[in-house]
Amino acid sequence: MRPLDWVVLLGTLGFIVTYGVWKTRGSKDIEGYLKGDNSMKWWTIGLSIMATQASAITFLSTPGQAYEDGMRFVQFYFGLPIAMVIISVTVIPIFYRLKVYTAYEFLENRFDLKTRSLAAFLFLVQRGLAAGITIYAPAIILSTMLGWSLTATNLIIGILVIFYTVSGGTKAVSVTQKQQMAVMMGGMIIAGIMVVSYLPANVAFGDAVAVAGKMGKMNIVDFDWDWKTSWDDRYNFWSGITGGLFLALSYFGTDQSQVARYLGGKSVGESRLGLLFNGLLKIPMQFLILFIGVMVFVFYQFNQPPVFFNEAAKSKVYATAYADELRTLETKYSQIFEQKQEAVQGLVTALKTDNEQAIATSQAQVDSHTAAGKAVREEVKAVIKKAVPEAETRDTDYVFISFVMKYLPTGLVGLLLAVIFSAAMSSTASELNALASTTVVDIYKRSVKQDGSPKHYLNASRGFTIAWGLIAILFATYASLLDNLIQAVNIIGSIFYGTILGIFLVAFYFKSIKGNAVFFAAILAEAIVLSCYYFTDVAFLWFNVIGCVAVIVFGFILQGLIGKKKEELAA
Amino acid sequence: MEHPIPEEEPGLKPPFFKSWSGMYWLVLANLGFLILLFYIITKYYE
Repeated sequence: MRPLDWVVLLGTLGFIVTYGVWKTRGSKDIEGYLKGDNSMKWWTIGLSIMATQASAITFLSTPGQAYEDGMRFVQFYFGLPIAMVIISVTVIPIFYRLKVYTAYEFLENRFDLKTRSLAAFLFLVQRGLAAGITIYAPAIILSTMLGWSLTATNLIIGILVIFYTVSGGTKAVSVTQKQQMAVMMGGMIIAGIMVVSYLPANVAFGDAVAVAGKMGKMNIVDFDWDWKTSWDDRYNFWSGITGGLFLALSYFGTDQSQVARYLGGKSVGESRLGLLFNGLLKIPMQFLILFIGVMVFVFYQFNQPPVFFNEAAKSKVYATAYADELRTLETKYSQIFEQKQEAVQGLVTALKTDNEQAIATSQAQVDSHTAAGKAVREEVKAVIKKAVPEAETRDTDYVFISFVMKYLPTGLVGLLLAVIFSAAMSSTASELNALASTTVVDIYKRSVKQDGSPKHYLNASRGFTIAWGLIAILFATYASLLDNLIQAVNIIGSIFYGTILGIFLVAFYFKSIKGNAVFFAAILAEAIVLSCYYFTDVAFLWFNVIGCVAVIVFGFILQGLIGKKKEELAA
Repeated sequence: MEHPIPEEEPGLKPPFFKSWSGMYWLVLANLGFLILLFYIITKYYE
């Protein structure tokens, strides 16, 4: 990091935090603090919704995912626009009519206190865990890449967020998210332009996409379905449109970190437009981020990539007896890359001539060298694991940040780091705000202290925001790296979301099912989802469907049994 | 199965369209267009 990078990074973050605190100073009651006095316009709501969902993990992990696995992750978002329409039609008018602060308040109105408390509890558990990961995920990567202390990085992100979220509540979260979205998208577009500009002079943009396609990275949509094997395929059209729909319905319709964004709207119409804005732009945005990852992949077909993108882990190996083994593998990897270079240039030339035979020959050569390179990378990972057993051997989360640090010019490195910090802060702020409002409204005000003054609940909201912030920092400090980071967050969400969605769907659409039946149905459904997670290979997106359907089915069965019992007692 | 959608508030119209259903169809049509576009790109670069 050079001085100009520091100026850009600190200047950007300082401006956003100061602006957020200044613009939203003086919240006097819980209405203003938790619902922003219902003053937000649709573009603020829309950007706030997008910024809440787009965490730092989105910008660190997604390009790496595209580098490794191609574009197919975009299918995960296919259910989202449908969910936006369903929520706009069904959920928003009801929440507005009941004037609720949180989504879970509605459940007491429809069922009973225990069902409301159960849904609020499930939310607090999963969102509390996710808030820790939202801070930890960028902190572990940034601290590794920049040589900062992990604890210090966690503290910087956490304390900055606590500062403006405690000060201005929901409004501060939404106001700062507008600026954060501008920084995020601006930074990513510039990064995309830079990586394309770094391609060799003889490789035009179209050639780069064609090379990516021939190397299997333009696999955007996959309609194939096999009843025996496709269930554990994480990303295909069918899991995206069904599992993704259920996940999006749960996340946007029942997760307070998103519900709070549109409950602060000026009217039903502003909230609807905000959600529909997200429905229109979310897929193109994810496509862009994945595409940048694919362009980074193409860039590394013409420039030697590191054998392992987490340089810090490699440095640790150099200090052990395995150093020579690692150096030998690095040399082997470089030799393979040199041979691959010729094959890739041959493929570019063949693609330009449109000669099918030449394309097939070059492609086979490239595939062969790619496989050889992959085999060496696997050997390197095995050496790292032997030399430093606690080291994480997945390096996809380091691909994009490694490219940024090594190849982007001074100033832009600071801007891209501001993108990652902004994304971490925007998601964390929404999470802390939602955790605090659910704790105060659904637990504290409802079941602990019902006769407090507005000032008391305002102070309680601020206190719980600080408390959840400190819990998130603590969790982030002690969390260990879970599989791929973006998947870790989605897996945690999927384990709980299906059940919560099931409760809400029963509330909205199945009037015959009452409180006791849905409460015990939800507990059974959660047990089934946890069993699927621990004992089967079912892809996590299906947990949303399983949990939701289980609540509805058990709800009907239990309501039938309860109704029968009542009839017997009456007789 | 009951459907608890309240009546649409009078005077609350979306931009460009006469009713909210126009906006909803725009979002769904955009999804359909993107899926078709992605399918064409996938097949073209396969």
